[in-house]
This record gives sequence, structure tokens and C-alpha cells, in this order.
Amino acid sequence: MGVGAGLWLVASIAAACGGAPASAPPEAAAPAPAATPWFREQAAAAGLAFAHTNGASGRLFYPEILPPGVALFDADGDGDLDVFVPQGQPLAAAADARLAPAGARLYRNDLQVAADGTRMLRFTDITDGSGLAGPGYGLGVAAGDVDNDGRVDLYVTGFDGSRLYRNTGHGTFTDITAASGAGNPGGFAVSAAFVDIDRDGWLDLYVANNVSYRTSNATVCPGPAGAPDYCPPQIYGGLPDRLYRNLGRGRFRDVTTSALRGLTPRPGLGVSTADFDGDGWSDIVVANDGEPDFLWLNQRDGTLREGGLPAGLALTGEGKAEASMGVDAGDFDNDGDEDVIVTELTGQGTNLFVNDGTAHFRDVSAASGIGGRSLAHTGWGTAWFDYDNDGWLDVLAVNGTIIAQEGRRGRTFPYDQQKLLFRNLANGRFEDVTAAAGPAFALSESGRGAAFGDLDNDGDVDVVIGNNSGPMQLLVNDTGADRHWLGLRLTGRDGRDMLGARVAVERPGQPTLWRRARADGSYGSANDPRVHAGLGDSAVAPTVRVRWPDGAEESWPAVAIDTWTTLTQGTGR
Amino acid sequence: MSTTRLLVALMFIAAAGGSCGESARPGRGPVEVPPLPDLTKLAPSVQTQIRERFAAFTTRAAAGAPDAELSQAAGDVGLLLMAAQFPDAPAPFLTRAEALAPADYRWPYYRAHFHRQRGEPELARAAFERALARQPADVAALVWLGETLLQLGQTDDAKTHFAAALALQPASNSARFGLGRVALAAGDARAAAGHFEAVLARDATAAAVHYPLSQAYAALGDTAKADLHLRQRANHQILPADPLMVELETVLDSPQSYETRGIRALEAKDWTAAVTWFRRGLTLAPENAALHHRLGAALNMTGDRGAARQAFLEAVRLSPEQFLAFYSLGVLDQEDGRHADAIGRFTAAIAIRPTYVEARLRLASSLRRTARAADALAEYRRVLADEAGHAEARIGEAMTLAQLGRDRDAVTALERAHDAAPESVVFTHGLARLLVTAADARVRDGRRAKMLVDALVQQGRTLDLGETMAMTLAELGEFDRAVAVQRDLLTAAERAGLPAVVRRIAGNLARYEARRPCRTPWTEQEWP
Repeated sequence: MGVGAGLWLVASIAAACGGAPASAPPEAAAPAPAATPWFREQAAAAGLAFAHTNGASGRLFYPEILPPGVALFDADGDGDLDVFVPQGQPLAAAADARLAPAGARLYRNDLQVAADGTRMLRFTDITDGSGLAGPGYGLGVAAGDVDNDGRVDLYVTGFDGSRLYRNTGHGTFTDITAASGAGNPGGFAVSAAFVDIDRDGWLDLYVANNVSYRTSNATVCPGPAGAPDYCPPQIYGGLPDRLYRNLGRGRFRDVTTSALRGLTPRPGLGVSTADFDGDGWSDIVVANDGEPDFLWLNQRDGTLREGGLPAGLALTGEGKAEASMGVDAGDFDNDGDEDVIVTELTGQGTNLFVNDGTAHFRDVSAASGIGGRSLAHTGWGTAWFDYDNDGWLDVLAVNGTIIAQEGRRGRTFPYDQQKLLFRNLANGRFEDVTAAAGPAFALSESGRGAAFGDLDNDGDVDVVIGNNSGPMQLLVNDTGADRHWLGLRLTGRDGRDMLGARVAVERPGQPTLWRRARADGSYGSANDPRVHAGLGDSAVAPTVRVRWPDGAEESWPAVAIDTWTTLTQGTGR
Repeated sequence: MSTTRLLVALMFIAAAGGSCGESARPGRGPVEVPPLPDLTKLAPSVQTQIRERFAAFTTRAAAGAPDAELSQAAGDVGLLLMAAQFPDAPAPFLTRAEALAPADYRWPYYRAHFHRQRGEPELARAAFERALARQPADVAALVWLGETLLQLGQTDDAKTHFAAALALQPASNSARFGLGRVALAAGDARAAAGHFEAVLARDATAAAVHYPLSQAYAALGDTAKADLHLRQRANHQILPADPLMVELETVLDSPQSYETRGIRALEAKDWTAAVTWFRRGLTLAPENAALHHRLGAALNMTGDRGAARQAFLEAVRLSPEQFLAFYSLGVLDQEDGRHADAIGRFTAAIAIRPTYVEARLRLASSLRRTARAADALAEYRRVLADEAGHAEARIGEAMTLAQLGRDRDAVTALERAHDAAPESVVFTHGLARLLVTAADARVRDGRRAKMLVDALVQQGRTLDLGETMAMTLAELGEFDRAVAVQRDLLTAAERAGLPAVVRRIAGNLARYEARRPCRTPWTEQEWP
């Protein structure tokens, strides 16, 4: 079927359903079925030869089910995204040292661009000498420039504390955990987020702690027939999250008690930051496992007040607290505010909350089609991303159960499931297009972290997936670059990525697209901090208006499309 | 090939040979017996149960038993596997059960729930529809089909089925709850509120209603009612009466199944039944420390504290990490006034589970009662470090500070809590009480307390708030009014049959009659 026939079919369906909203642009039509896969799995071919181990000994230690996250960030400042992934290790006291893996890995992106523009991804393991192969059981990772030196630093979350690594340039790092004061002592965190809470120009750090757990008092939870399995988090009890205020140059103070108003210990997993109420100050949403999710609303005085329940975001529309894992914020309906997606347990289904612009949310999971289609999956990493560059944010979720699957005798960790890809139909509904996305989507893995970014700088969003007890996956997007796109790196005067900056993409006769610079969201992972916006078939160079994290606004007319452009604060109008 | 499967294969061969190559079931061929999954991780009693039912099925299949008998035999295996929460294995057995007895309503009904649990709403929908084709007036199936359609976003169809269920059973709260959610999803907040209020009118404990009802009132612009219901929300389910699913819950012969049944009995306040179920579980797993703890809890509810203590002790003997049993032993000790022993038990519980807030609060209480107020204060503050808004810990902190003679610090703590949560009655009330009873005259502020109490009285009148009102009036020198209020409280407490409260109120009444204010913020019985 050609593109024209595809358009006609969609138009007919839309008419039968009452018609698409007036704001839906013509490029909202479904892409024609592709002769080639939309995504190709290229991890091994590109040199990302990482296999995760959770250290499982058969004693069902709870932390084993959580990792790994994965980070996409420019470690060496050469303009492309490198890859970091934390590693597990045996948790049993008498673990066989031979089982211990090689630790976390850092892969340098050696992207090759041929004269004809052909791009080939090549990664080189540069862990040795990088300073990143630190001790501990790694779970997730957050990325941000904590000392405003223009180099992206890493916060590696873990069981029994986390570690902060300062980027010293050229892919080398120094462990500054102790000096920074942000080590989350006694904590047990998967996800964290760097966010400038107080608009002082320094990235603060939110750490979502999970449960109070020690291997010495570990327990197993038999199912109804007596089969032992991992316990739910409520068996251990939640740990309070932590907020660290950046005092400047990478020194932090724990301001949890004074700054998080209404904090209760809950089993936190995913974190996403965005300005949900449109006041220009960053807020935080936290996915809690089996307990109400947090919505931390910025009070503009260095504190945040928890308001998930009255905002309609803490629970499902029915009032249930579900097992929230991954979370991300994005303007999926292109109405200018940040909506929220949260992945959940099998039988609960992914939840989609639509924002009314004032941080009041409505659960539209069922109506959107995402809720029903995801019920069979236990979701973890997820993000809003426009995989086909049609100007509407789509959703990918990586999945894996927490109940052992039958007939997986060959697997050390039989908890695998397939991924899900949902295409935004531009009318509030989503279509499950997993089957059309390529053979990589037919693979069943224990997906956990997922990081989203344009690894080959070709204008569409690729995905790197951290699989528990399995190989890392690299899904190279081969469909998005067929349409126009806008790529922006937003930097401060000091050269750092301006996480939290919001971008309005304005084109004559088209609805304004709102996107933001963020590295957080998903699950235990760090995303491309650059801003990507699909433009569909529109070749018009748009006006870009940036609302910086400090509240200032600037605009740039006729910004070039189909290429990556850096916009630095203070150089616009 | 396992022995069982080999046996089945041989049976088929024998059956086929015995009938000269013809099927045991003429015209339809032999019933294929699906394999069992790996059972080795299950409790031995459940393995036996499943293998026996499986053998019964294979024997009947080999013998060419009648379809109805075969259906039951296949279904029995399927139900056991479903109850054991195998994600895939039940399907072929339930499918055969349904195929062999097409008129039997149970098998498509169970298949529907099987698909619901697997997160397959389309398959669940089809199976519920097949069940309803066999038994159209089944309210449970109608409600569950409505729920499934709601998951799929098909609100019009869901409404049809909830309405049909309600027509058949006008008192069905599950059907009406469904209709309320359909209305809410359709944007008809007024109709939704009507349905939800009707549910609450029939069952005031239906806490699941409060959250969507809050949303309905918010949509209608009634923020007062929206807030009221939001505060009352709780985890709760409104389920249809569902005998088939109850049967499924009780089909397994496992310690965990008996534990579940015991917990259900506890929820139903049937303490004796709970004891019976937990003891049944312990016959299968005598070294299950958690079951011993549950048995102790049930025994305590029957009033047999001695047996309860023995059960808790057995739990900690079997598992020194059983922090819940240490906690329960501490509660018994505390209730018996043996605070030194209680302190040891709670300390042990916290050593195992440092975030066990209830144990820490109990520990603080016993510490304070053994003149270790400074240690108690440290425990309250440990709770507050993790959860600054924890009401009981904050009040405990303030009370302990007052006990230590640090009235100013106590007031400051309550003022901060009040500022952080101005809607909290507990903090406002505590602050008012302290402002009129503090030993430190520099802290007392009767006029400010009067304003706080007057505001609280607008929200509702309770005995202890009345006591604070009388304390306030006495502090302001209005002893006649204080006496009048206190006499009213005394009458109310006597009518309510609260002798300890009567003694406390009478004591202060005598004080006010002697024109002396109260200087005891909280008596022993008022401490948490």
C-alpha cells in the first residue's frame, strides 16, 4: 500500500469515529507499512557487548529484580551520545568470586559518517581508566552537570547508597561521593533526577528511594501454592526519598526534611521532572510501587509540597494505588502542558494522565487505548518520544514480569516479556504498532531501563534498553528521518545543558509544539538532554521560543531544520 | 518424560489397541491430555493434589469416560493450576473442560477470569459473553464483563452490562459503582455522583467510592465535598458476590491457601474460624513462623492471650527475624503494663526492621512511661526524620517535650506542624491544649487558644475537644463557663459508659470549681 492509500484509510476511520480534532495536522496519518523494520537491533553489531547480571543466587534477594537502568550522555564532549550502564554483582554473602561481573561499563560513541551521509554506529568500551567502575550493586543512573563546567556528571544509584562521579573530561571521571554529600547513605534507589528546584542555576538532585532492605533479613514470599518468589515492596516498607540542594560546584546539602513538605516513606522507582502547573518552576512526579505516586509541586521558595492526591495523579481514576515503575512527562496532545505516563504491573495496565494545564489530571488510560493494550505487560522504562517525526509524541515501554514465566528453563531469569510501541493517532487515542516495528520487538527480554536519544544524530530517536540478566539492546530508528525534524541543544552561558528549559516550536498555520530539555524520566535511566521535535512534512523553518529554567524567555526566528542546532542562553531575542 | 506422562501415553496406546484403532470416543477422537507444568517448586501438598487430579483426568480420558465427566476432570486440573497462579498452564485444561461441556457456565466464566488475570481483556470479554450466553442472568458475569469493557474504554457497552446487572439485582453496589465510573468517564459528573452516593447510602464502609466521588464533586465545582471524600478514600474493592471465584480461592491444599482463608476470616471478624484456618495451615507447615504469628493474632482476638503469647514466642523461636511477632509480644507486654519487657520486644523489632514506624511509636510510649522521656523523644524524632508530617509522632514529640519541661519547644514543634498542615485537626488541637495548660507561664496564651478551639468546634464537637474548651475558659479566668462545659462533658461521658474518661473529667471539674486552671496537658490515658 502506498502512502496515499494509507492516508485515505485513516481518513475513513476518522470520519466513522466522528472525525479527528481540527488541530490534527495532515501529517498525523499513519506511515505506510514499512518494507524495512522501523527499528533495527544493533547492540552487538555496534559494539555494545554488555550482558547484565543481577547476581541471582536462588535466594530471591529483592534488589535482583530492579536493574539495570542505562544512560545516554555525551561523556567526552564530542557531540554524540555515549552509553553508560550499571552492573549487578552477587548479593549472597558467600558469593563465588568467579561469578562477579566486570562492573559498570562506559561505551564511547565513535559514530562514523561517510561522505554520502551514511551513518554507522560504533561503540568502544572505555571503562578501563574512566574511573566509573566503582564499587557496589548498581541499579540506575542520572546525568547532569553538577558543577557547571559544561561536562555531564553521573549519579549512579544503587543498593546501599549511590555514587556521584564528576566528569573530568575526555571520558574520565572522579568519584566525588563523599565530598559532594549526596551519597544517599543507607538509601536504596533506582531512579534519581537532576533538577534546578530553586532557580539558582545549579542542578539539585532528587533521589527516589525504594525500600528498607538488607540481605541479612531477606525473606521470600511463597505464592498461593507455596512456590517461593520475590516479595512485593510492602513486605519491606518504603524508604523516604531525598532532596539534595546543590550549594555550587557539586557540593550538596540534604534538605529533605525542610524542603519536601508532606513526605512519607514510599517505595519509589521512577522520577520525572517538568513544570506541571505552568508557573515556570520545575515540579517532580515519582512513581511509587504499590502506593500512591508523588506529585511534588514547587512552592517557589526552595520547597516542594506533595499534592498527588488532590491533583488526580497519585491514583488511578478508580482510586487504586498501583505498582508504578516507570514514568515520563510530555505534551502528548500538543495543548501546551505536560501529561504523564506511568508503567504498571500485569493486570493493571499503563496509566495515562492528561493535564488540564494547572496540574490537575484525568486518568484517560482506557479511553486512550494504552491502558487496555498494556494490561498483559509489566512495564518499566518508558518515554514520550516522536519515533516517526509526525509531530505527535508516541510511547515505548519495555517490559518484564515479576512472576516467573513457565517454559523458560534456558533462562537464568525467566521474567521476560515483549516491548510495546504505541503510535499517537493525534486524537487522544493510541494504536499498538508493536507488530509493525520490526523483529526487535518480537524479542522477549526482562526489560528495565530504557534511554531515548538520537545516537546517530540523524534526526530520529533511538533507544538503548537495559535488560535484567540479558544483553543490552540498541534499537536504531530507521523511520523517523523520512520526515522533517528540529534538533536543539540548549545550553547556558557556561556551556551546560539547560535541563528543564521549555521550547515552543512555532510554525504558521500549525499548532505550537511544546517540548522540553530533560534527561530524566523512564526508569533508572538518563535520556538525551537535547530537544527533539518531529515536524512531519512541514519544511518551514520554525520560530523557536525558549523558556529558560530561570524564567527568562528568548526566541530565535527561522531555526534550521533537519540538523542539530545549539541555542545558548543570551544569544536570542 | 515423567512417569506420569509415560503412564498417560501407555494408557492411550492401550486404549487405542483395545478398540482396534478406533477412538475411545467414537466419532470425536480421544481427548488430548495437556502436559502438566513443572510442579517441583510448589508445596508438596499441592503437588500431590494436582498430580492426583491429573491422574484422574488421564485415567478417564484413557477410559473414554463421558464428556461431562471428562469436562469436570479437566476443569478440576485447570482450576488447581489457575489457583496456583501458573500464567499459561491452566488454559488448555480449561479449554477442554469448556469444549467437553458446552452448556456448562462455569468453564467460560473461569476462562474469562483467567484472561483477566493475564491482562487479556479482549479474550476475557469473549469468554464472559460465552458464559452469559449460557446463564444470562448471572450478575457476577455481567459486572465483570462491564469491568472488562471499562478497561477497554468501551463505556457504552460497559454501561449496558452494569445496568443489566442492576436491573437483576437492584441492591448490587458493584453494578452501581460501575455505572458511576461509566458516567464519570463520559463526563456526566452529576450522574456519577448520584450513583456513588447511592452506593454509600447502602454501605457506608464502601471506601472505594470516595475517590471517584471526590472527582465527581470536583468536576461539579463542589470543592468542599470533593475534599471531604478525598480525605476518606481508602484501599477497598467493591466486588460482586462471586461464589465461583470464592471456590477458586479455597481449592488449594497449601499453607498459603489456609493463610488466605484465615485472613479473610479475620477481615470478617470471625476469630474462631481464623484460628481454625491458621491451625490447618500449620499442620502442613509447622515451621512457618508467619503462620504462627497470624495464629497468635487470631487467638488474641478470641481473648486467649496466653495462647496468643505462646504462638508469638513460637514464631520468634522459628524465625528470629520475625519482627511482627516481636512487635506483637511487645504489645501484649505493654498492655499488661510490663514496659521494660515491651521495650525489649519493640527494640528487637526495630533492629530487624528500622523503618517499622508502629514499633518505634510503641517503643517511645513505653520509654516515656518508664521515665525515659529523653529516649522517647529520640524515637519520635527518628520517625519524624523520615516523615515530618507523621501526626502521632509529632504529637508524641510535643507531649514528651512538655513532659521534659520544655514547653516552649513543644509549642514550637506543634506550631511548625500546624503551619505545614493547617487542615490537620490533631496539630491545631494539640497546640491549643498546650497553650492553656503549659507549666511555663511565658508559653501560655489563652486568647490564641480560644481562637483555635472556636475554629475547631465549628468542624465538630468531641469530648476531648470539649475538655480543651473548658481548659481554655479556665485559663482565661472564666471558671463558671468552664464548670458548665465540664459538667456537660461529664454527663456525656457517663452516658457513653467511659469510666476512665469520667474520672478525668471529674478531676478537672473539681479543679475548675475550686477556680484553679488545669496544668496537665495530657493525662496518662491520653498518651498515644
